[in-house]
Amino acid sequence: MKPAVNVQVELESGALREISVARDDLLLADILAAHGMPLNTRCGQRGLCRGCEVLLRDGAMMIDGKVVVAPATVQSCRARINEPVAIQIPGRSCVGHLPQAGETFEIAVPYAHQPLFPAVAGGRDTGFAVDAGTTTVVLLLVDLVTGQVLSQAGAFNEQIRFGDNVITRIEAARKPEDLAAMQRAIVAETIQPLLLLACQRAGRPLERIAGGAVAGNTTMLHLLIGEDPAPLGILPFTPRFLKGRQVLARDLDLAAAGLAPETPVQLLPGIAAYIGADIAAGISATGMAFARSPSLLVDIGTNGEMVLQSGGKLTACSTAAGPAFEGCGLCCGTRARAGAVGGLRLSLHPFQLEIETIGHVPLTRANGLCGSAYVDFLATGRSSGLLGATGRFETAAWESVPVQNRLMDNGGKALRLTDTCGAGALRVREADVALLLQAKAAIGAGIEILLKTAGVRAVDVARVNLAGGFGMHLNVAHAIAIGLLPGFREEQVRVVGNTSLAGALLALVDRTMLDEMENLRAQVKVIELNLADGFENAYIEHLMLA
Amino acid sequence: MSEEHPLTQAVIAGRRKDVAALVQQCLDAGEKAKDIVEKRLLPGMMAVGEKFKRNEIFVPDMLIAGRAMKEALLVLEPLLVAADVKPEHRALIGTVEGDLHDIGKNLVAMMWKGANIEVVDLGVNVSSAKFVQAVNKYQPELVGLSALLTTTMPAMRDTVKALRDAGLAVKVVIGGAPITEGFARDIGADGYAPDAGSAADVAVAILQAKK
Repeated sequence: MKPAVNVQVELESGALREISVARDDLLLADILAAHGMPLNTRCGQRGLCRGCEVLLRDGAMMIDGKVVVAPATVQSCRARINEPVAIQIPGRSCVGHLPQAGETFEIAVPYAHQPLFPAVAGGRDTGFAVDAGTTTVVLLLVDLVTGQVLSQAGAFNEQIRFGDNVITRIEAARKPEDLAAMQRAIVAETIQPLLLLACQRAGRPLERIAGGAVAGNTTMLHLLIGEDPAPLGILPFTPRFLKGRQVLARDLDLAAAGLAPETPVQLLPGIAAYIGADIAAGISATGMAFARSPSLLVDIGTNGEMVLQSGGKLTACSTAAGPAFEGCGLCCGTRARAGAVGGLRLSLHPFQLEIETIGHVPLTRANGLCGSAYVDFLATGRSSGLLGATGRFETAAWESVPVQNRLMDNGGKALRLTDTCGAGALRVREADVALLLQAKAAIGAGIEILLKTAGVRAVDVARVNLAGGFGMHLNVAHAIAIGLLPGFREEQVRVVGNTSLAGALLALVDRTMLDEMENLRAQVKVIELNLADGFENAYIEHLMLA
Repeated sequence: MSEEHPLTQAVIAGRRKDVAALVQQCLDAGEKAKDIVEKRLLPGMMAVGEKFKRNEIFVPDMLIAGRAMKEALLVLEPLLVAADVKPEHRALIGTVEGDLHDIGKNLVAMMWKGANIEVVDLGVNVSSAKFVQAVNKYQPELVGLSALLTTTMPAMRDTVKALRDAGLAVKVVIGGAPITEGFARDIGADGYAPDAGSAADVAVAILQAKK
């Protein structure tokens, strides 16, 4: 056995440690982890990311069989040691936070504690992370000293009055006064009240805000800073900007008593016109780019985006699903929030409804149905025989439903679920089902065409990351049953929640993630579904319930 | 004409596989392709349009029925050509420049076929010059312009203008999610179809008024 060699480790704090290494067959990353200094090996120690870089100050190491001499920056997951060395571990390479799953999202990668904005405990020590969606906006308040989430607040995007999808907003923006009004709608009327609410919930004064990070689709980020999105609405769909950029609160007219006008707000980098910063955030938060086997990200929002990683290559597409799964445009739809019906189960013979609300709010005070409940409705409505393949209430089954649960609504049938909901009863109309089917068909067909284009079969995908604002409680079996995730088995699917928000949080707490997101633009190949062979046929096929 | 025939029913319900089988049955029973189209399929598509207008069915049902109709025409169109049967009217259709969305346009094409109009489909992202060229080539009585993106509505205006400037007497019908009657009037289109259900009515009304 060889004599032990010494590794002198300097941490960013200036602290020095000495480690004695007796074997030359271990990787530096493993040695450091074994000595209580785990690094950000978010690519699974495959040499694919820069999360575990250390600075070689003195001596030499072996990297993939070659000698590297100080001074050098080395990936510790590839480095082996057989002579004394001195290294410095930058703060960005130390694990500050482990992978974690919360109520709203999951972060599958470890990350450093390198806040985007310098934090002074008790002073400006608080940041905010925002997912600026077309339909829904969610904001997290984050302690930048600890990296912990302090509070959360969400609301519908006030821009909805200008149209329920990005195209109508792009059109509205042709009028300069409406472009300005839409900027006000998302900043002053949506984000600002959410920031106030989140601060109030956390008991933090606005004076302590150091800055924010915002993820969103490309159109939303254009509108947020008042940039004309017109080129996004017409071939060849060229954004005015995709790069991450920092603006100041006063440039956005984000104003609130106590908030410094020069508070920086970081927009996350996007990938393409219809694969935005929300998706760059999702790719980063799920770590899917580094997975060893094919993996898929499906982000269900007003637009549905899908990203496939296979053999290290990333391919993406987007589809105009509409906001149905966000509860928008449906007669009793709402976003996933306390008091919304989050899950249900319907059976016939005898007719029975089991209904769950988010936050165990009594059903009499339920404020609507959110996306996950509609997924359950489609799945159990179909399996019970109440819904036919095209989403209509089947005549015989309909007649077996108790008369008090059957309503007629504007010529179509509607199933009454509860007695009360604000002014009327909670109900699902056939017209709602039609919108849901269109949304699920766009996503199901998009996944099918994306996989076909990349030559990957559904069974070969090791992990499907199902993202979206419907929270972490979506019934995966039901999502598969209705064809939202065609051809997959339950064990392949992981519900990861709002990964756009997760990515904004990542960037806020670990600024090195921004570079990684920025680099994605060159790596992701975007395909245009409307030009893809077989998309229309697949879409119509997916309109039906199996 | 009746909606009772199993083939008509299968079209309305969008049962694609049944439609294919039933068309074959009709042919085997000695019915002429022309009669199958006119007596079995057209009433089906008309019923679909009517039900849609009455809110009895929705977009998915229309698309599914349209695809079943397409399945039938796949078998019947070659027979119609062989028998030299031509619909009385011909139309051109396409999505205007800058727009790649064609599911709505394809459905309108199917509804027009369902109203016994021959349809030449120019596809997506069709420039005004291409429309002019195609009108000269095919000599249709009707042109359908589709736009899903509000941002491509100006291209629709340009196309109508190009057709008029070229001195072509063809009638123009426009449609698509963002289109309004006022916009149609404003750009000098001859007709406006608020949805695929009414597209056939609008086309038929214009063609009959021409007579």
